[in-house]
Amino acid sequence: MKNPFEDFGSLSVERKELPLERIVRAREEVMERMVHGYLKLVEEEVKDLVWLVEHSRVVKAYSAAVKSIRELHYDSDDIEEFCAELDSSNRIPYMISGPAGIYLSALVNHAQEDRIVLPLKDYQRAFHFVGYRLPDGKTLILQGDVGDFVGAGLSGGRLVVEGSVGNWCGAGMLKGEIQVMENSGQNTGEWMRGGEIHVEGRIRSVGKTLFGGRIFQRGKLVMPQETDPDV
Amino acid sequence: METLEERQRMLEEVWVQVRKRHLYPELPQPTWAEQEERVAIDIKDKRISVSAPIVEELSQFMDPAEVASGLLDHAVSHYLHCPWDLSTHLKLYREAKHVLKDKQMAQKATGYFMDVVADTICMSQKESSLPELYRHLKRGIMDEAVHALYQKIWGLDLGVKGYEEVARKLSRLPYLERGRWPESVRKFSKIVQSLLEVEERFGGLDRPNPMGEHGLQQYSPEEIEQGLKQFAKDAATPAEFKEIVEDLQEELLEAMEPNQKGMGLGPGRSLDADILYYMKLAENYALPVRSRPMEKSGALYPHHHVPWEVGRPFQDIDPWTSFGKIMPGITQTWERREGEVLGREEGTPDCIVLIDSSGSMTNPRQSLSYAVLGAACACDAYLRNDSQVAVYNFSDAKAGGSQILPFTRHRWSIYKTICHYFGGGTKLLVEDVESLQRSSTPDIFLITDMQITNLEALIQYFNEKKNRVTAVHIGDNEHVRTFRRSMALRKNVGIFSVEKKEDIPKIVLGRIREYFHAPSHA
Repeated sequence: MKNPFEDFGSLSVERKELPLERIVRAREEVMERMVHGYLKLVEEEVKDLVWLVEHSRVVKAYSAAVKSIRELHYDSDDIEEFCAELDSSNRIPYMISGPAGIYLSALVNHAQEDRIVLPLKDYQRAFHFVGYRLPDGKTLILQGDVGDFVGAGLSGGRLVVEGSVGNWCGAGMLKGEIQVMENSGQNTGEWMRGGEIHVEGRIRSVGKTLFGGRIFQRGKLVMPQETDPDV
Repeated sequence: METLEERQRMLEEVWVQVRKRHLYPELPQPTWAEQEERVAIDIKDKRISVSAPIVEELSQFMDPAEVASGLLDHAVSHYLHCPWDLSTHLKLYREAKHVLKDKQMAQKATGYFMDVVADTICMSQKESSLPELYRHLKRGIMDEAVHALYQKIWGLDLGVKGYEEVARKLSRLPYLERGRWPESVRKFSKIVQSLLEVEERFGGLDRPNPMGEHGLQQYSPEEIEQGLKQFAKDAATPAEFKEIVEDLQEELLEAMEPNQKGMGLGPGRSLDADILYYMKLAENYALPVRSRPMEKSGALYPHHHVPWEVGRPFQDIDPWTSFGKIMPGITQTWERREGEVLGREEGTPDCIVLIDSSGSMTNPRQSLSYAVLGAACACDAYLRNDSQVAVYNFSDAKAGGSQILPFTRHRWSIYKTICHYFGGGTKLLVEDVESLQRSSTPDIFLITDMQITNLEALIQYFNEKKNRVTAVHIGDNEHVRTFRRSMALRKNVGIFSVEKKEDIPKIVLGRIREYFHAPSHA
């Protein structure tokens, strides 16, 4: 009797592993660890799903975020994908804007690349604290509108927002430059100690307490206000 | 390639190898396309056409048999893996459209995504000449980017320079995981959006994909019917179904063109996506229709043998089992029993569908209306059983808010009438219902929220009639309870409640309590 499967005998059943599979596997591993790190941060720092913005808590959350990503190897594509996960993934049961932005800032500040572009315009949620403590030599470009405390504690980096920012932009920044292509909210530059903020659109209000630094609106210095030596 | 015969023989030989490599897919023998096409392959109703001029052109770089083999690998992989069926194709298009908001760009992105999936699956499982083919194919902007992606994810040099960033981002998507295709096509579309916009500016979107377009003509009319049915089931709202179907209306109608039938459409008609949605969705719920009960026919027929006894009539003796003898104990006679037949008319009766489309009911064009879906399922069930359906769609009937469709089997007219939405008050005219009555006593299917101003008149009408009534109420309210109470003693009325989509399959058309109490006949 003829074996009906004889014709299949000469066919190879071995499956080749394509580079695609390695790339996808590596990417998923990184994403898994990023999500895990973020959820751990939220678990530790956020009680009752409410996160109050206090200087000490922000510092503590940032330190915890940096610690959790210490041995993680990732690039700007991973950060971009993490933003998308934060915005819409089922893997992240709760996205709390403050800790999410701080975790994102830690990722950006410790990435290998010096220039990172994050397209945020299609996301439904606003990210706060993005660009927190952006260090010297780093450029972060945010495409779209962002939330509050953007560029807070900026530490020498260059932050470009291709959209509008919320309140407290550049709060407590030390040095570096923030460029906002559209509008900024209230208390812009509050407690800033150095660096420059350039806003191309409207500034709702400038911070009451500035220890240094300069704020420009459409190229014109608005803070500190220039005094005419002749008057 | 010298002669036509040699070329044909070559294609046949290559096809044998390709079929074997892909474990014998059920596809007909491919043919050569002779005209000067700009695409290498074309699939219509499952038949693959390979462009002879393009194979000729590429044969200066590689063996023509290798060219044909690569092209057929690509086409077969589309058939076997991605998109696999029309429903998947539509879902991928829907996701791409969601991101790109433009029909042409979404079609391009979907096509390229399906190419990447099909080619990559083929490359991961078979030895194929696809890479060699891609090395020599003419490329546009999108082709360059996709081939740069291939270089990265296949680990081969296809001679593409540039597009590293796009290729790097695209290479992160899990093309081999079918369950994640919707998410992947969204990301794919987002990444290639800027390239598609450049293509659009330079008219590149009008140029066909060199490996062939992914029109809906590749599907058979049956596959289109099935695909739409599945897509209607998966669509979250009628609007979602409508958007996609209206986008692809021309292609869908063209694919149905061979015999211009199916889907209930006549020639030269456009698709009304809302009606099509309920029509296809209803096909997913096959409601049972009870046949008419058995009743005594009055005629006697031979049922079984009993021993003949003296005094019993001779005419019932069965000579074949009596050994030719008339002798008590040996001779067998037929015992006769009265026969049973279906009612006066055999089979499933016709049906009058009464549907409420007043303001308290959901507008079927805005969101999924359980009333319309329920009525569509009922119509589908009766039509499947070769019966006719009449429709009375009412809102404020006295003020002209009603539509009457006499008995018909024309599916499209029936669905069009049940999908009509008045959105006014709720009053029906029993005279209108009466005008649809027939001597054959059709079934009545009523679907409403029961907030009918003259509900008493309807209750009285049902009390007077012998029709089997299937009454379906949407939601629960005082009127529903009144109706239930009033109909409690009626054996010819079955009442069902529909709160969610899952309740619809529980409806049994023509179920009346009488059948359950009827004595069984062995």
